[in-house]
Order: sequence, then C-alpha cells, then structure tokens
Amino acid sequence: MVLTIEELKKITKSLLFTMSEEQYLTLQQEFTLILEQMKLLGAIENLDQVEPLVFPIENENCGLREDEVEKCLSVDEVLKNAKESMMDMVKVQKVVG
Amino acid sequence: MSYLDLSIEEIHKALVAKQVLPSELVSEAYDRAQKYQKDLNAFVSFRIQALKEAQNLDGKEITNPLFGIPYAMKDNYSVKGELSTGSSNILKDYYPVYDATVVKKLKEAGAVSIGKTVLDELGLGGTGTNGNTGVVKNPWAIERISGGSSAGSAAAVSAGIVPFAIGSDTGDSVRKPAAYCGCVGFKPSWGRISRFGLFPFATSLDHVAYFTRTVKDAAYLLENLAGKDPKDMTCSIKPVEQYVEKLNPELKGKKLAIIKSINESLGNPLVRTNFEQVLLKLKEAGVEIIEEDIDMRLLKAIYPIYMVISSSEATSNNANLDGIKFGPREKGTDFLDSIIKTRTVGFSELVKRRFVFGGYCLAKENQKELLLRAQKIRRLIVNEVQRILAKCEAIFLPATGSIAPKFTEKNDEKLSVAYLIGENHLAIGNFAGLPSLTLPSGFVDGLPVGVNIMGKAFEEQEVLNISLGIETLLARYKGQIAKRGGE
Amino acid sequence: MNYETIIGIEIHCELKTKTKMFSSAPNSFAAQPNTQVSPVDMAFPGTLPTVNKKAVEYAIMASTALGLTIDDTLIFDRKNYFYSDLPKGYQITQQQRPIGRDGSLEITIGGQKKTIRIERLHMEEDTAKQLHFNDYTLIDYNRCGVPLIEIVSHPDIRSGEEAAAYVEKLRSILLYTGVSDVKMEEGSMRCDVNVSLRPEGSKKFGVKTEIKNLNSIANVRRAVDYEVERQKQILLSGGKISPETRRFDETSKQTVLMRKKTSAVDYKYFTEPNIVPIHLSADWIKKIKDNLPELPDARKERYRQMGLNDYDAEVLVVDKDFSDFFEEVVVVCQQPKLAANWMISSVQAVLNKLGTSDLGSLKFGPAQLGQLIKMLDVGKVSSKQAKELFEDLVLTGKDPELLAKEKNMVQISDDKQILAWVKEVLEKNPQAIETYKNGRTNILGFLVGQVLKLSQGKANPALVSQLLKEEIEK
Repeated sequence: MVLTIEELKKITKSLLFTMSEEQYLTLQQEFTLILEQMKLLGAIENLDQVEPLVFPIENENCGLREDEVEKCLSVDEVLKNAKESMMDMVKVQKVVG
Repeated sequence: MSYLDLSIEEIHKALVAKQVLPSELVSEAYDRAQKYQKDLNAFVSFRIQALKEAQNLDGKEITNPLFGIPYAMKDNYSVKGELSTGSSNILKDYYPVYDATVVKKLKEAGAVSIGKTVLDELGLGGTGTNGNTGVVKNPWAIERISGGSSAGSAAAVSAGIVPFAIGSDTGDSVRKPAAYCGCVGFKPSWGRISRFGLFPFATSLDHVAYFTRTVKDAAYLLENLAGKDPKDMTCSIKPVEQYVEKLNPELKGKKLAIIKSINESLGNPLVRTNFEQVLLKLKEAGVEIIEEDIDMRLLKAIYPIYMVISSSEATSNNANLDGIKFGPREKGTDFLDSIIKTRTVGFSELVKRRFVFGGYCLAKENQKELLLRAQKIRRLIVNEVQRILAKCEAIFLPATGSIAPKFTEKNDEKLSVAYLIGENHLAIGNFAGLPSLTLPSGFVDGLPVGVNIMGKAFEEQEVLNISLGIETLLARYKGQIAKRGGE
Repeated sequence: MNYETIIGIEIHCELKTKTKMFSSAPNSFAAQPNTQVSPVDMAFPGTLPTVNKKAVEYAIMASTALGLTIDDTLIFDRKNYFYSDLPKGYQITQQQRPIGRDGSLEITIGGQKKTIRIERLHMEEDTAKQLHFNDYTLIDYNRCGVPLIEIVSHPDIRSGEEAAAYVEKLRSILLYTGVSDVKMEEGSMRCDVNVSLRPEGSKKFGVKTEIKNLNSIANVRRAVDYEVERQKQILLSGGKISPETRRFDETSKQTVLMRKKTSAVDYKYFTEPNIVPIHLSADWIKKIKDNLPELPDARKERYRQMGLNDYDAEVLVVDKDFSDFFEEVVVVCQQPKLAANWMISSVQAVLNKLGTSDLGSLKFGPAQLGQLIKMLDVGKVSSKQAKELFEDLVLTGKDPELLAKEKNMVQISDDKQILAWVKEVLEKNPQAIETYKNGRTNILGFLVGQVLKLSQGKANPALVSQLLKEEIEK
C-alpha cells in the first residue's frame, strides 16, 4: 500500500508544518516500509474480545486533587519565554476565525 | 586514579572521611566534561554555576549519599532558569520557570549537575544521532554510536565524566545505550518515579531512568528519586523501600526465565555467545533457568506496536510546541502561517516523519486498524510476560542483538527478525511498565555488551538483588570506565 | 409545505471551584491578565494534569439534578486541534465516557408539560481569552483550564419558545445545585443552539446550523425564531441550507454568518494517558447525591403544600434568590399566599423598574417586607396604607413599623374607639339605617366611608363594617 504525496501533505497540513518535496519522497518511501511492518499487527487474529491496554499500571496513584489554591506564576514568569508581549499578555499576529 | 572514577558509594565514603571535597569532585567532573566534549559531544550545555554550588557544600554536613556528587542530566528535563532544549531547535532558547520533580529531589539531596546532555531530538530516536547539536560518540570507540535516545548521559557515565546521569526510557532509551556503553542502565516501574517535568515523548511508555556504573549506585539513586508526587497522577503512592539496606546478591535458588525466540533472534552470534556464557555462570551459581517462549507473531509485533503507540502519543504531546508561549517564533503572513513556519523550521526531518505517522495512526479512519489494534496486542504481550513472571523472580534477557553500530553502517534489514526482535525486545518492559535493568556482561570485538533483568511491577528490590548477584559474579565489568582516546 | 423544527442545545457552564480543572491555579475573577496561571495551564513542556476533586463532585451534583446516570469510572480523552487559545494543542475532555448520561428535564409550555431528554454531561477545561485588534491578538491565560461542564440535549426541542424554556429550566436547576453562577451575560453559562428543519412527517434530519454565544434567554428565543424563519424561506424557495456557524446580532435581531462549516474536523480523540482511570466509590457518589440541595421542582412542590397555586409556585422558584427572599419573608409574616402576591406583583415590579434581577439592589430586606405584610395581616394598617408604606420601603429601606409611626399611619382596630365612631355616624344618618333595614344593604358602603372619614382613614374597614352591621341590627 502506498500513500500518495497528497495524502501525506494533508497530514502535515493538519499538524501545522511543511516538508520539502524531496523530504516528502523520503517520507513516502519510509511509509511504505512502515506499512509493511504494520502488516505484522494484522497477522494477529481474534482480537475482538481483547481489551486495549492504555495504561501499563493502574490503581497505584494518589487519586483526585483537593480543591486548594497553590501559588501560581507571576506575570513575568508567564511571559518570560514568549517572544512578544503587550499589556501583560502574549502578543501574536492577528488570529482569524 | 581519581575519586571521580569511583562509585557513588565509594565517593560518599571518601567525602565523609574528608578525603575529598565536593568542590574538588565537581570541578574535576566539569573539567573532564569540557575535555571530552570535542571527542564525544555528550553535552548540550554546561553549568558553570556548579562550581560555586559545590564550594557552598564544602564543609557542610553530609546528609545524603548523593551529597556533593556531580551528575549530568538529559536535556529533556525542565530546570528552572536554565536552558532546556530537548535537543530540538524548537526549544533552543527555552528557559523553564519550574523544576522537574527529579531535578528538585536531586537538588535537595545535594547532588550537583554539571550540565545537560544530548538526546535524540525530543526523545524520538535510538541512536544518539538526531540531536540538534550533533551526534554523540561512544567513549569506547568514537566511530560508533552510543545509542539513544539518552545518548549524552550514557556517554558521560561510561567515559567517567560523572558517576551517574539521568536519562529517560520509552522503548529502551536508557537500557540499550547502557549496553552499548558498558554501564548500568535502570528503568524502574512506570509510576515509581515522577514524570513531572520530563518532556513527554510517549506518555504510556515514558519512564524516568538513569545510568550508573554499579548496581548498588542504582539502588542509592532509586531511594532518592522514587516516591509519590501529587503533581503526577500516574505516580505511585507505594512507599519507597530501603533498597540499599535490603540489597542481597544471593543468586542461589533464584528462578530466572529466558525467552527462547528472543535469544534466537539476536543478529550478532557473538553477542548471543556472551549471553549464553552468562547463563552458564548463573546456572553454576545455583540459579534455576526456566525456558519459556512467546509466539513469534507477538514478538514481531513489538516494534510495530511501539511505533504506533509512541508516534501517536508523541504527535499529540508535542502539539504545544508552536512558538507562541515559548521557543523561537517565525514571522508569517498571518498567525497560522507563523506557527507553520515555526514548526517547519523547529523540527528535524526525522521527527516530522514520526509525527506524520502519528497523525496517520490517530486519524479517525485508521485508529481501529492501527492504534486500537496496537493497544490490544500490547495487552496480549503483557499477558504473556505476566504469565512467565508468575513462574519466576525475573526474566533474563540479552540487552541488545548487536554491539554499537558504526556511524557509517546502514541497516537495511528493517523487516528482519534480527531487527524487529533482536534490537527492540526491551520495549516489552515499557509495554508492561516493569522494572528493568541492564548491566555490562562483557565485550564483543572490543565493544561492550550487556544483559537485562526484568522483574515484576514494583519489585525493584528483586531486580536490584539479582542484578547485584550477576554483577558480583561477573566482577570484572563492575564500575568499568571507557579508555578515553589516546589514554 | 409544512416544516418541523428540530433543535438541540449545548450548554457550557463554568464550575464554582476554587481551583482549575487540571491545575491548582485559582479559578476566580481576576482583574489583571495572566495572574492566575500555573505552568500546567501554560502547557510548558513536562507539565501534567491533576484532576480537581471538587469539580468532579460538582459534575456529579449537576448530573444527579438532571436525572443523569453517573459513570463510576472517571476517564478523560484528548480532543486534538490547534488554536491560539488552546496552549497544549489539545483539550482534555470526556468523549467516550461522560460522567453523566441519559437524563432529562421538564418544561411547561402553554400549561402543558414536556420532557426534554439530555444525552450527556461531561467535564472539560476552558480555553484562554483572546483580545483581537486590527493586526495583532493578545492572549490572557487566566481562563485557561477553568472547569467546565458541557450538557448536551437530544434534539427534542421544537420551537424558540421551548428552547428558551429549556435553557431557563436548566439554568434554574443548576443555580439551585450551587455548582455554577450560570450567568449568561457574564459567560459562566454559554449556550449554543443547533437548528434544522425537516418536512413534517419526514424521519430524516435536515442540515443544521449552529448559533453560538447566545447571552440571554430572551435572545435564545429570538435567535431561534429568526433562524427558523430564515431556513424556512430558503427551503421554500427551493434552496439548500449550508452547514454554518452563526451568531445572534442584538441590534438587527438576526442571526449572522460567522463561518461556514467545512468537512467535519477529525479531533483524533484518544484516551488521556496522563490520567489513570479513577474508580469513584459508590459511597462517595451516594453521599454527594444525598446532600444535593433542594431543586426547583421539589421546592415548587413544597410551595404547593404551603397552599400556593401552581402558577405562583412556578413563578417563585425560577430564580433561586427570589425564592430564597420569599421564604425569609414567610418566616416573618407566616402568610405564604400573601407573601407570594407581594413578591410576584410588587417586588417584581420594582426589580423590573430597576432593570435587574439582583435582589441585592433593593434597599430593603425580606424581614422588612415580612414585617409589612404581618402588619397588614393583623390589621395594623389598611391595604391602602400598606401600599403607601411599600413605596416608602422601596425608597428608604426603613422598617415599616417605624415608617408607619412617622406617618402616623397606624390603623385603628380598637373596638371601643370604632364603636364610638360608628354610633356617631349612625346618629347623623338615621335615613341610612332605614334604607338598610328596607333591604338595600349596600348603603353599608356609604356608612363605612363615613366612619373612615371620621377616623381620617385609620379605622380598620372590616371591623367598621362588622360593628355597623351589629349596631344597625340591634
């Protein structure tokens, strides 16, 4: 099974980055290999009754958090790493939509 | 020989006996790090303030075995006020405003970080060749990789720069480089150590893990790093045991299981031989070896499962990297374009390829066949591992199927059993969240190899005990340091 | 061609917890931007979510109040999408296992009761606030992570009137649970309405449009009515409805296009791996349910038991503050029916005039109104006097007893005094007595008036009337 460049571009678009034409070709080749590897997943049958495993360990945790306020960040700390800020808020190019 | 070449335990004794000062240790570690940086490229950044911090510790009461000990930290941990890049351009100027829990604990214990080490970008990778500051070289042979993703930390410990270094392990990212670099690499159970402040790669597989040169040192570290953390809902509330005090190297009567098909999948026959030799020694020491097996179809699925789950979670976990709140920001034609440019410039090609695959697996139309299927087979594999563990104290595995490859070597056999199983079987320790430790077991063609012990959930003591037993048995590889080029 | 209107409503409410849904930063009104933000809210690398116990408790309370079944396993999902107000690049929500499922509430339309089914109630986190300028946008993360519950109805609603009634009832119920301020105008309750039409008799749903950010119950009705008409016109002229997101413009009273909905967005939902599923103990859930405050329907029933009629009881319970006020009035005067009348007509009129529903803006309190009603009830003042006193009460907030004294307004119910006046009037009007005895008993009114005149309006009219009759019949 081969994914078209168009299909791959659709995915990068949804993830908000782009690749060069050459990189898309490499990606396409890699995908072909990966999908071959994925066939190994398909080789295992009778999965209908099997529950997916999402968490390796459960039931060991601290439970729900009490609703008590803890010291939060200062405005300076919030903005420290933002490239642009104005009036104590993070500034970005105009957001449309 | 210097005190810095010793284990944490021995250095601690020397500090208590005032034979050496923290400032002397830290200063020497810092110098070594500088000296070997050109050859190894293990570090992203150095902490010049470490020297002053260590001086402040001189003469103070030694409260902890880690007190005054220099160490290195993989650069995917959040350190307040200090550059934390994830070895990625998208974080190349990021200065966090909070400390990761393990960073806090190490500070409180009095350990002193001399710098941040190189990783495969954002944890995605297993070679140590995909960090944005260049490749990391194996201290035993600089034409070879040190492995990854915790490449720099592995190199720093194995080259004798520091007695311990923190890494992270999502598929084998500490336990494999430990084998390639001839040191101890320990990944405790999922939730044993808090992940708060560890830049996430794949949440359900990520573990805080670390390198030392002896098993006992690994026990010291575990005592200091383990424990509940209300900031991490996946962190266990189980009490922290006295791992060091309860260490017991007695191997006689222990039952260890081996998994036939994994052993038979190793690509390098000499590595297999080494494994078999250790097996023999274990039997002679009175260990009962139980031969077990897991269906080949399940074993071959390990790598695809790992790829699907880790890529899916990684893609989502890194969606916060957009240049808006932190990190470099590119200007665009509009807001959206600005983010696209930022992420295009900020991520390497390899990372982008993984994200595309992750996006593909998460797509509604593919989730059933890929993500859900992978999660189901993950359960089948874990069931098998649990079945085997019910019969023994731990599973005994080869750490890798190879010695550290050369940078020039290409692997075109990505569908072979040697690759799929021989190089990727340690991931079952992540699938099941079990404690797993790699220790050096010898040399093949002059390069280190290792063995791995994987135990039951939260039975770190058992894993440490058996590992200590094996380390004692093998003796000569304990605490080894790579000869630095020319020395 | 007759069309049937199909409406479904989604409501988001901010929960009144002290901290945010997944972090310990404060959840309260903040004047200064970015002063209520934790590293978790900013999605700094390495931060992890922690679930707020109170928020879960409130979600269970709200679910119970709406008759939803509680799922005792707490599990969360990621909704993945990029937007400037969503720092993580995903929102933590509950897609597969909402905490509450399959409930309903009852509305009354034109005297008829109708059940609107509620599909689900789930917890999620709020997004950051944005301020848009000409060529830049500013982001304030204070609101980021505030706990929300989302309540989704089945598309059982059939008109603007029903929509408004549903929102009003839902708001009322949630207000009584105390989990949210549910102030639409402030944004602690947000209402999105989905509207579609289909030919009467058809089973297939038509294309729906979504109207977002309605900020009052009245606007819900107006927006829906307009949208139904708009869609009808399009369909009748042979056109097609395009799936759109619209907003309601208050000035023109029309729905206006915000954006067209392109193909369905894939949110790539998957289980949130940072939050292990938590089993909620049956005991804890039961305790929460048992301690649920009185809800509007239960309170209404209690008012019926007090002797109020259905309509009055219904009106009183809609606004909890209003209802609480009423109950305090009753504590003082012990006359529920009277109190109800005064609340529904007089107090409401004052509030309407002030243009608010905030009882705190009144100068007087329930105890004082209660006092006034008691004075009227025992005959200390006449109803005319009581009305006058009420005006003063509204203006000054002074105690009615005090006001009555100042105005020398105490109604006289002293038998002896009134008898004296009665006798005096009867002496002066012998022909009236004759008229009365001849069967024209309504001359009594004239006589009562004469006595009231003598007493300068202070005599208790009922007593006057009674004593007059007694004297005449002697």
